[in-house]
Amino acid sequence: MRRFYEGGFQPSMTRREAALILGIRESTPADKVREAHRKVMVANHPDAGGSHYLASKINEAKDVLLGKTKSGGSAF
Amino acid sequence: MAAKLIANLLIMGSGILGRAVLQAYRKALENANKTGVAQETLQNIRRAGRTMTEQEARQILGLHENASWEEVLQKYDTLFERNGKMGSFYLQSKIHRAKECLETVYQKNGEGTQGTG
Repeated sequence: MRRFYEGGFQPSMTRREAALILGIRESTPADKVREAHRKVMVANHPDAGGSHYLASKINEAKDVLLGKTKSGGSAF
Repeated sequence: MAAKLIANLLIMGSGILGRAVLQAYRKALENANKTGVAQETLQNIRRAGRTMTEQEARQILGLHENASWEEVLQKYDTLFERNGKMGSFYLQSKIHRAKECLETVYQKNGEGTQGTG
């Protein structure tokens, strides 16, 4: 069994953390990022008993990897 | 002759300078210890890196303030299993740490954690 990662989420998301959240590499192409995002989102969708917090993290991870937001540009 | 003299002077000078720098460094460390700035910074770094706040743990599991331990376990089980199948190991870790964090909180509050398995 692998060791679990320590602690909570990082205060501002980096590309590295985003890749870890979606379970892919930082260099993964955009279409594969979207595919991975869909898969992880299905597992954590708030409508199906998932948490809103994780869902927002997953969405943020996709945005960071697709370069839609500059990393650390979260409003919160 | 002159070269030897200059070399001697240089060596002596650098020795004095080195000692002064060392002393200044020690003094700075002492001051930092006195005001507790060093400890605070270190602690902050450690805290940020190692542990999760109760608030974040609740958010991760999607629980409200006064959820029972049973609810925590139920949420944890479903989320952990689902992320094992289709999610990522990183998210699974966060879910596991969230449960770990809440476990200590609930134990402290004296609510029974029997049947944890």
